Amino acid sequence: MPYRPAKRSQMNPISNNPTTLSHAGPGAPSGPSSSQRASALPLSHLSRRGFGGLAGLALLTPLLDACGASTSPAETSAKPVSGGSVSYAVDTEPVTFDIHVASQDITGEICRNVFDSLIAEDTNGEFHPWLATAWEYAPDLSSYTFTLRQDVKFSDGTPFDANAVKVNFDRIAAPSTKSQLASSLLGPYTGTEVVDQYTAKVTFSEAYAPFLQAVSTAYLGFYSPKTIAANSATLGSGGPVDVGTGPFTFTSYTKGQSVVLTKNPDYDWAPATSAHTGPAYLDQLTIRFLSEDSVRVGALTSGQVALARAIPPVNIKALAANPGFTVAHRSDPGGVYNIVFNAAKAPLDDINVRKAIQRGINIDLDVKTVYFGQYDRAWSPLSPSTPDYDPSLENAWPYDAALADQLLDTAGWTGRDSQGYRTKNGQRLVIDWPILPPAYITDQRDILGQAIQADLKSIGIQVNRPQPDIGDYITEIYGGQTNFIDFTWARFEPDVLWLFFNSASNPANGGQNGTFISDAQLNQWTNTGRTTLDAATRKTVYDEVQKRVVLDLALVTPIYVPETIIGVANSVHGLTFDPNAWTLFYDVWSG
Amino acid sequence: MKALLKGVAQRLVAALAVMFGAATIAFIALQLIPGDPVATLLGPQSSATAAVRRQITLQYGFNQPVAVQYLHYLNRLVHGDLGQSYQLQRPVASLISEQLGPTAQLALAALVLAVVIALVSAVATAGRRPALRAVAVTWELIAVSSPSYWVGILLLTAFSFQLQIFPVAGAQDFSALVLPAFTLALPIAGVLAQVLREGLEAALAEPFIVTARARGLSQNAVRLRHALRHASVPLLTLTGWLTGSLLGGAVLVEAVFGRPGIGALTLQAVTSKDMPLVIGLVLLSAFVFVAISTILDLLYLVIDPRLRAA
Repeated sequence: MPYRPAKRSQMNPISNNPTTLSHAGPGAPSGPSSSQRASALPLSHLSRRGFGGLAGLALLTPLLDACGASTSPAETSAKPVSGGSVSYAVDTEPVTFDIHVASQDITGEICRNVFDSLIAEDTNGEFHPWLATAWEYAPDLSSYTFTLRQDVKFSDGTPFDANAVKVNFDRIAAPSTKSQLASSLLGPYTGTEVVDQYTAKVTFSEAYAPFLQAVSTAYLGFYSPKTIAANSATLGSGGPVDVGTGPFTFTSYTKGQSVVLTKNPDYDWAPATSAHTGPAYLDQLTIRFLSEDSVRVGALTSGQVALARAIPPVNIKALAANPGFTVAHRSDPGGVYNIVFNAAKAPLDDINVRKAIQRGINIDLDVKTVYFGQYDRAWSPLSPSTPDYDPSLENAWPYDAALADQLLDTAGWTGRDSQGYRTKNGQRLVIDWPILPPAYITDQRDILGQAIQADLKSIGIQVNRPQPDIGDYITEIYGGQTNFIDFTWARFEPDVLWLFFNSASNPANGGQNGTFISDAQLNQWTNTGRTTLDAATRKTVYDEVQKRVVLDLALVTPIYVPETIIGVANSVHGLTFDPNAWTLFYDVWSG
Repeated sequence: MKALLKGVAQRLVAALAVMFGAATIAFIALQLIPGDPVATLLGPQSSATAAVRRQITLQYGFNQPVAVQYLHYLNRLVHGDLGQSYQLQRPVASLISEQLGPTAQLALAALVLAVVIALVSAVATAGRRPALRAVAVTWELIAVSSPSYWVGILLLTAFSFQLQIFPVAGAQDFSALVLPAFTLALPIAGVLAQVLREGLEAALAEPFIVTARARGLSQNAVRLRHALRHASVPLLTLTGWLTGSLLGGAVLVEAVFGRPGIGALTLQAVTSKDMPLVIGLVLLSAFVFVAISTILDLLYLVIDPRLRAA
């Protein structure tokens, strides 16, 4: 996954005080075009929340403030109480619990409770001290020096120090670790220098602007050097070998069933983004793996778990009406569910056909029908919760079947065959849009696809949806052999636009640019966005990109805004979210 | 007794051949799945770097010819090493042994339940009042034709979500076993009951039944002692065969009830083309089938004295 430059202009090039603002200016060196290095493999259909923001802690946004839909009396002003335990039902089970190896969202979300980061990012994109009290970086962004807290201990008693930083980062960078995400987050890492016991200097072979963001994610969290020495190969199995500094310790993992985390009573180094200090309130946190939607919801409503994630849209209304529960919605930042057009391949090499498809899909109705009115339709390839989202696109390209027909006539698809599909020179207008194998389909996108298929049929376009094996699917999609490519890419960062539309993000080289064309303007704007720290410049270029890809070039049809939807029993208080809309349990209490 | 030992020895040789064949077929099947093995392994969500991909390719020998991979693989198997799961990065043997317990527990409980339900349903209704018999046949038909996925959700909704008698999921204690065991047992019980009833009714029509009744045995004694024994040979064959299929049935039931086990592991292994794990599981199933059929052969001898003489 590609990197982005550290994002806010508030970032201080040289400062020990993270709250001091200064600007790097437009000349700031760019992050490495890491996608070349990071070769993010397959398109993320399962919302990929990378690097963008697992890390940052939501600035104390209490759950119920965050969720407008809440009807519940749950959030009283009662004082938090310590003790008790809570069960949280999730829909996917991590393949590995080794944060340095894993690429899954769920690994990051669960392990965030066990592992701390050097710094914390809030939902405004600002950085705060955590295990590091201060940091500074070289003007050319090729090294970062962190001053560490001196009172931090891993739960096995090992002190956290500069050596621990070095051991962990070196482990991530070692090819033998086979890191799928963390190593790409480390970028052009060359090493960590232990300046003194509590000062660590991380160096890179070239300027690496996105490092602060990266280092705030759980994937660059810290294992006790002792457990790395003894258990490096088995950290992925979960359980007590996964020793961190976090507010919870990893008590046990029963594959196929649950994870149990227990309060770390010595925890006293929460980031400033948290609501309290000291140990977590909960004595125990159990994460249950319930992949069946109806079972997960049933477990919640029958009181067998206190929280459940990924509540299906069909159940939301009933759950929200139940006085014992609230439903927390958070729209996922980053790329929405987009259908990207392969503009290098006929018939979508014709802009009129692309525009006709954009306007010929009744997105409002389709999204409303399939998701029971629970998801918002999208207008931009960026989610509204992403920095630099351009709201001016809203209602700028509404459904218009008549216009779509007209555009197709203009494009020369004027004939009709016996089945009512449009033809040109005897060729039928056909779109090839493979569908993922069932195991990978989320959010009933296969059903949504049927609605889209029907819309396009009514303007005379045949949409074929073969369902190849995952291996063939990846080959076809990345080989540019298909007409449509659909995916989301969750990340708290508009730089996903670089990923989607910069020609350097070529799928043949491991990128994600499903348009398969190179547009000089888009390249320039997306490059500018990732190499400047100036907020105004970034806003300008990202707005331009969004307008150009949707309106001017019609390279993409944004469909809907994916959401993190969590059902919460009234007994649970203080749940917060990080910038990626992932749950944080440190401030949660039960009562 | 000597004949018995010889029989067992022959069985063992045959078992090894079956397992070798199963391992080979599994290997070939996985080779036939299209797509780059590293990409499939990482899934559509990965952002692994090119260096990581290379590392994985080299470590697992994906760059070697298939024949070489196969020989390496056989060599390890012969030495009793099932290898390391590509995706989970853990020894296959320990993964299977860790997950086998809950599945064995579930399968055994389901089997016992199925046999008991079938016995009660068939013995009580075979050749008796048509109305009662029709009710039994109807429930059996429904049980056989209902997908276990649907039955599971139904049982959960009634007994876990509404009545809250049993926990929704997991494998923590006995109460968590009840619903999944019933879910798995019902369709099997349906099949067994139908076969058993048919056998019973055939046996009850035999002349020796009349003789037994004439000797003064009660109707129930005749059923349980004589007719049932006759009817149970086909039942045994079928039970053995269905026991093997319990492993497959566990895939769905374990998913619905959020239970750990072999079923869930198999699904994951096949989806990600995790060769060592798939083959380990195939070997396990082959072993279970072979073991069951061996045990059955021995049980036939116990039930039917005529076979012993031969």
